[in-house]
Amino acid sequence: MTTPATGFFTDTSVCIGCKACEVACKQWNQLPADGDFFSGRSYDNTIHLEATTWRHVAFVERQARLSGQTTSRPFSWLLMSDVCKHCQRAGCLEACPTGAIVRTEFDTVYVQPDVCNGCGYCVVCCPFGVINRREDDGRAWKCTLCYDRQKDGVEPACAKACPTDSIAFGKLDDLREMAQARLQELHRRGVTEAWLYGMSERDQPGTEGLHAFFLLLDRPEAYNLPPDPIVPTKGVAGSWGVMALAAAGMAAAALAATHSRGGDRK
Amino acid sequence: MSLAQSRLHVGREMSPGLALQIGEGAAQQVKHAEPDAGGIVPLWRQVPSQHRTDHNYYDLALLKEPVWIWSVPAYFYMGGVAGGSAMLAAALHGKKRLRRLANWCRFLAFLGTTIGPVLLTYDLGKMSRFLNMLRVLRPSSPMSIGSWSLAGTGMMAALSLLQGDRSGAVTRYGTAVGGLLVAGYTGVLLGNTANPLWRERRLLLPALFMSSAAASTAGVLQMMPLDEREEKVVQRFGMVGKAGEAACMVAMQRNDATVPEVAAAAREGKGGVLWTAAKAALVSGILVELLPVRSPLKRKVSGALTTIGAICLRFALLESGKAAAREPQTTINVQRRRMKG
Repeated sequence: MTTPATGFFTDTSVCIGCKACEVACKQWNQLPADGDFFSGRSYDNTIHLEATTWRHVAFVERQARLSGQTTSRPFSWLLMSDVCKHCQRAGCLEACPTGAIVRTEFDTVYVQPDVCNGCGYCVVCCPFGVINRREDDGRAWKCTLCYDRQKDGVEPACAKACPTDSIAFGKLDDLREMAQARLQELHRRGVTEAWLYGMSERDQPGTEGLHAFFLLLDRPEAYNLPPDPIVPTKGVAGSWGVMALAAAGMAAAALAATHSRGGDRK
Repeated sequence: MSLAQSRLHVGREMSPGLALQIGEGAAQQVKHAEPDAGGIVPLWRQVPSQHRTDHNYYDLALLKEPVWIWSVPAYFYMGGVAGGSAMLAAALHGKKRLRRLANWCRFLAFLGTTIGPVLLTYDLGKMSRFLNMLRVLRPSSPMSIGSWSLAGTGMMAALSLLQGDRSGAVTRYGTAVGGLLVAGYTGVLLGNTANPLWRERRLLLPALFMSSAAASTAGVLQMMPLDEREEKVVQRFGMVGKAGEAACMVAMQRNDATVPEVAAAAREGKGGVLWTAAKAALVSGILVELLPVRSPLKRKVSGALTTIGAICLRFALLESGKAAAREPQTTINVQRRRMKG
């Protein structure tokens, strides 16, 4: 492939929860509105990634200080802009029976809306709960990593709009270097809880690394991320094996049940 | 432009006169301008103002629930009957005195592989694109393999129904192999997901679907008029299936018990009720069958109970899968346990 793989590095330590990414994504992709809704969960009224919501900012009000913080009471904000991870081994892509979900020249995962027939199998095969079928549209939708903008050489709308550069877009190799440098910088400054989520296959063997990875300040489940996601097809060989054995069993049962001692054949 | 004006501004608060509707999501159809949050998020009045624990994110679902409707578990049942009948029909081929039973089996195989695709298409978000299922063959997707098997077996089953005992070896063995695939792939399909409940059971589901397919085939046949010889064949085939189904269900419950959240998802709610019903129907079907009397009524009652059990089982699997996806701690604990090794 001549085009280098691109992706996102989301550094949650500088996210301020402005939701500019959510708005920019909705605006650029002309996604339908979700309606006015107060969830009662901090400032998070978006709640989750959805067919109509391709960026989602999580708000965690934590009753604990970050290391090096000197607040009067134990409290810290954890903010994270969540997005489709564009996994190296993508559960949705491997599950799609129509070939609607493809890997683009930028190594991102893209759903072709003119092919998807809404079978809903990708929905249960995504270990992050990202992709969903919109009921009144009938098809599955998710972040395209701004495929249309990338083809014109422009960075995705969310990264463009992010005022603190918490969302960095670029070549995957550059992003990994940037993430390592940022991690070392934070550790040097005493923020020892900082770590990288899903940067490479070593960090997350289940997905063989994410093309949209994160710098987190707490365990993944605090942000509603799975601690050890595995693409479903890892381990499917065993299921097929069991099926083959069971099939042999059924064939044997049918032959045995229909067997009779002589005189039955033509 | 006229098409854009008629549809696209709904729910977007955006005038098509001001912006071209060419964004990646612009083609998303909106019938309801402001859907609620799917009904899965409790209202803010019911939520305590402070974060209860740090173990997860406000108890919100980590995974998406399966979007499948009733027609998918209904298909699981139909596919099972079709697969089991196809296998039995192939085994009965050429047996003169069991010709009527063989024809019933061929008919059931044809019926199942005909109604099955209709049920699956009914669940599709875009029903008009059902043929896209055969657009590619993706070996990594059990659904893709299943679609091809179902299409192939459907054709084979139609051929063998038309040709009867005169059908050639290709049709005969093709129907048998296709039938076995159709009966079992659905178990692989459920196991090959990110859903914690289904994934934890991935080595048992194919065996469960396969044995339950044999049981459901026998269940349907038992409800038909049979002579003594036919009854014996059906009974023997069904007993193997029912014993296998019961063994798989017991093994599943023991497997679930290793993660309390998985066991809870399987036990509680609609899925749990259906699972209990499936167990009760299966066991009573076996017990009725073992009664030391010989009557068509006994046979028919046993067949009906087996059928009810098989249908409840498939709905139970879908409902418990939904429950498991709703509860984030299920996913988290399964993975944390795995990480500890």
